[in-house]
This record gives sequence, C-alpha cells and structure tokens, in this order.
Amino acid sequence: MNNSRRHFLAHSAAGLSLLGGFSSFAQASLGKAQILVIGGGFGGATAAKYLRLFSNNTANVILIEPNASFLSCPMSNFVVAGMRTMADITSPYEGLTKHHGIKLIRDSVSAIDPDKKTVKLSSGSVLSYDKVVLSPGISLMMNSIEGLAKANQAGVTLQAWKAGPETLMLYKQLAAMRDGGVFAISIPEAPYRCPPGPYERASLVANYLKQHKPKSKVLILDANQDITSKGALFKKAWAEQYSGLIEYFPSHNVAGVDAKTKTLRFEVQDDVRADVLNVLPAMSAGEIAIKTGLANANGRWVNVDFLNFEATAAKDIHVLGDAIQTAPLMPKSGHMANQHAKVAAAAIIAQLNDWPINPAPVVNNTCYSFVNEHAAVHVASVHQYDAQAKTFKSVPGAGGLSSESSNTEASYAWGWAHNIWADTLA
Amino acid sequence: MKSLAYSVLLFVSLSSSCWAQISTADQLDQQGLAATCANCHGTNGKGVPNASIPLISQLSSEELLAQLLAYKSGTRSGTLMPQLTKGYTDAQLESIANQLGQKP
Ligand SMILES: Cc1cc2nc3c(=O)[nH]c(=O)nc-3n(C[C@H](O)[C@H](O)[C@H](O)COP(=O)(O)OP(=O)(O)OC[C@H]3O[C@@H](n4cnc5c(N)ncnc54)[C@H](O)[C@@H]3O)c2cc1C
Repeated sequence: MNNSRRHFLAHSAAGLSLLGGFSSFAQASLGKAQILVIGGGFGGATAAKYLRLFSNNTANVILIEPNASFLSCPMSNFVVAGMRTMADITSPYEGLTKHHGIKLIRDSVSAIDPDKKTVKLSSGSVLSYDKVVLSPGISLMMNSIEGLAKANQAGVTLQAWKAGPETLMLYKQLAAMRDGGVFAISIPEAPYRCPPGPYERASLVANYLKQHKPKSKVLILDANQDITSKGALFKKAWAEQYSGLIEYFPSHNVAGVDAKTKTLRFEVQDDVRADVLNVLPAMSAGEIAIKTGLANANGRWVNVDFLNFEATAAKDIHVLGDAIQTAPLMPKSGHMANQHAKVAAAAIIAQLNDWPINPAPVVNNTCYSFVNEHAAVHVASVHQYDAQAKTFKSVPGAGGLSSESSNTEASYAWGWAHNIWADTLA
Repeated sequence: MKSLAYSVLLFVSLSSSCWAQISTADQLDQQGLAATCANCHGTNGKGVPNASIPLISQLSSEELLAQLLAYKSGTRSGTLMPQLTKGYTDAQLESIANQLGQKP
C-alpha cells in the first residue's frame, strides 16, 4: 500500500480525533486542544502526567510510546553488573492511564508535519494536534565510528545506553568472560547522555569482577581530556577499591572498530583489544527530532525557548530532556528531563488557559552514582531562569558534590529512584 | 451498580493525591515551583513509603519552611538539601513550604 493510500485509510484507537480535511491554526482552548506527547521516557511520561495535574485533569493528553513498559537507564548499571534484574528497572505505564486518565497509544511516530500539525504513526494512523510534547531521548551516531554499526548489529560491541535488551546482553557477555579478560568502555566527547554514567558503569563492573573474576581488567577509554563529572570522587574510589583493576585513559577517541579481532582503533594512540566491548559513540537528539528539522544546534540537538521548551524551529512542538541543546551546566539526566517536563507542562496549560507563562521558572538536578554496590556519591545544581540571557543559569554557591562516598547516599540514591519513577509514572 | 462502584474508586484514586485545584496563573506557578521537589519527595510531597528519603507530607508549612531555611543557612546539616536550598530565594522556599505543608 503506498503512503498516500495508507494515509487516506488512517484509523486510530477509539476516541481519538482523526485528521480532518483541514486543521485549525487558532489557539485551541484547554478542554478542546489535543496534546500529543511523543515518547514515554523520563521527559514525556512526566509531561503527560503533569499536563493532567496542572489542568485539574481537563487536558486532552495522548501519550505515544512503542515500548510496553518504562525501562529506566538509572540503576541499569546494576543490571549490567549482575546485581539486579531487568524487572527491577521496569515500571508499567498503567498508572498514567488508570490514575491520570491519559490515553496511551503503543506505537512510534514516523513523521511530524509542523505545517499541517499532524503526526504519523508507524501503523499508518495520522493524528492532528494542537500541541506536541516531544521527548525522544537520544540516538546513537553509529556511523561516527568506522565499523561500529556492523559490529553492534552483530552483537560484538554493545552500547546498552538505552535501557533494553542490550543491558542484559552486556551482563551476559561479562558473565561469560574468562577470569583475566578485559572489559573496555569507550566514552564520546561531551555532551552525551548522563555525564557520570560511564564512570559509574566502570565502577560497578569492576565491583563485579573483583568478586567473580579478580584477574580481569576494566579499561575506560575516554575521548574527553578528563572525567566529565565527579572526577575526584571517582578517582579516589578507583584508587582505594579497584587499584590494578580499573585503568583510565583520557583523550582516547575511538575512530574504528574491528569486529573480527575485537579491537578498537584510535585517532592517535595504539589499538586496544578487549574481550567485552561497550562502545558509546557520539550522540544526538532522537531520530524523529532530527527528521522533523528541529535539531538546529549543529544538526545534533534541538534549540528551545527555555520559558516553555518550544523548539525554536517549530511552533507548538515542545522538546524536552536529552534531545535539547541544554542550558550551560545543565546535564542530560533523567532528573533534568523530569524537571523540563514540569516547566513545559505548566507553560502549555497557562497558554491554553490564556494566562501569562511563568516568567521565572526554576529547575534543579540531583544525580547519584554508585562507586560500588553499597556506596554512592552525588552532584546537585539549581538553575534559575535568567530573563536577560533567555536561558537557565546555575546559581553560584548552590549545588555541589558529596564530600565522600557513603552508604547513606546509596540508600538515598535508591530512594531517589523509587520516588522519581513514581513521580514520572504512578 | 458496578459502574457506580467504579466511579467511586476512580474518584478516590484521583483525589487521593490531594491535588489542589488550580484556577489562577499564580497557583499554577506555585504548583510548578513545588513540583521541582517531587523527583525526590514524591508528587505533591507524597513520597514512596520506605524509600529511605525522609517523608515530608506530615509536616506543617511552618515546620517545612523552618527546616528549608535551616538547611539554607547551614544550621541544619544534610547531604543534598543544604546544597539545593541555597539555589532558591527565601520567597521561593516559602512558596514551596506553603504548597507542600499541611495546613492546620
Ligand atoms: C547507564 C545510565 C545511567 C543513568 N543514570 C542516571 C541517573 O542516575 N540519574 C539521572 O537523572 N539520569 C540518569 N541517566 C540519564 C537518563 O536515562 C536520561 O537522561 C533520560 O532517560 C532522558 O529522558 P528523555 O525523556 O529525554 O529520554 P528517554 O528517557 O530515553 O525517553 C525517550 C522515549 O521516547 C521514545 N521514543 C523515541 N522515539 C520515538 C518515536 N519516534 N515515537 C514514539 N516514541 C519514541 C522511546 O521509546 C523512549 O521511551 C542514566 C543514563 C544511562 C544510560
């Protein structure tokens, strides 16, 4: 069936407004507006929920997400290191439908037409919208490293940077590795999803190896000149707990992968061979954002108006989370995506109510990393909107790092995970 | 009968979050500000029980504000809270305490 025919036959789940012969460009009022939230990750799911809460449950919100359940990247390093199961990082979407009256469509968006204000689903259905909230996360630029796309397809290298099947595959490769083997993780130049994430992964993998295969090694091959987050805290933990087990190599930018010999090639340094290869390529905004022409920051990230997170490239499409060109010192984190979602949801509800948009939003970030199974460290920041600079600025003197790793912080880290999962989904 | 039971249940589950009705831009801004605490302390201050992060929902607005200001000034120690409260103005902390605290 060709596309236009499929388009013509478009149908959708019961009760959704279908594409008519025309679409209205006037601002719809709150009760009438159709709001499509694309992507049920940290940003999208939170936006869907808070659009309902902030509108006294009157906004018409449809969430479009292909995955059957929410898979959390936070805490997924525990699965990679064999200390938790996939079930521990999986949550249902049911809370959003049952408690908050959000309509859920299990599908993915194949195209957005900002002129016609329509969204096309992979199934062929076409939905019209008054507002889109788009939180598609990242895409991994597999072609930025020679041979990577093929190596990853064959399962010789893994990314496991989107929680899912690769998370468990990476653990299985680690479990199958001989004692005395080498686990290598490569890190792209910043900005990438979750600055401290790779160092936490290296720490927890080392924690696993120390117990089960103590002759093995963890190599961290970092394209950056130094650790991008919590550097001193990680270095201290590695020296104290994983001496001889973790080796850190800064300014190591992977240029190519040889899948046959499991070898990484670098721009400058000698090749590195490893038994388990966790190669993280450069990242960009989720594919749908790029395809829609929203990624006007180096063709990689989406510039937004920070008062309402509307993409600067398209009206009525609000983009959140990892996909955006963040404000200075604002990390690409799940906590941050959740906070973006609340600012955007409030601004959208204000707009649809014909109210002024909050001129002074504030967001915060907290991010925990584990240095071993029982001890964690944190980094925190607060960002106030600066009207003159039209961006969020982190407040000097606020935020900061843990003084040292501790068990208390580890229990707060799990508390944070359960609370943000509930705030996002329940 | 069945549908009545269902609608009662639905009402209970929707209202159990005690979400205040928002009818002005000001109320929306204040709820938005208080929602920046929800990642760690739960939606509308109702955290997940036994999740190790201190539950704040039983505190009054006055108690909450006193603690927030104590963290900010450094008279109360903690891991994250002293760092986070320094990023908010006193007026913002007061607004948050008013939103999340129990009213007498
Ligand atoms: C190992 C690791 C550890 C981490 N630890 C932490 C941590 O401790 N704390 C923290 O705050 N952050 C952490 N993060 C970062 C966090 O996971 C991300 O910042 C967060 O997921 C970003 O949210 P998002 O909404 O932008 O994207 P995501 O959460 O990735 O959500 C994107 C969603 O969009 C959907 N989607 C994509 N394209 C389409 C489409 N075309 N149609 C429909 N749906 C689509 C996807 O299926 C997905 O569900 C970690 C990340 C990793 C990898």
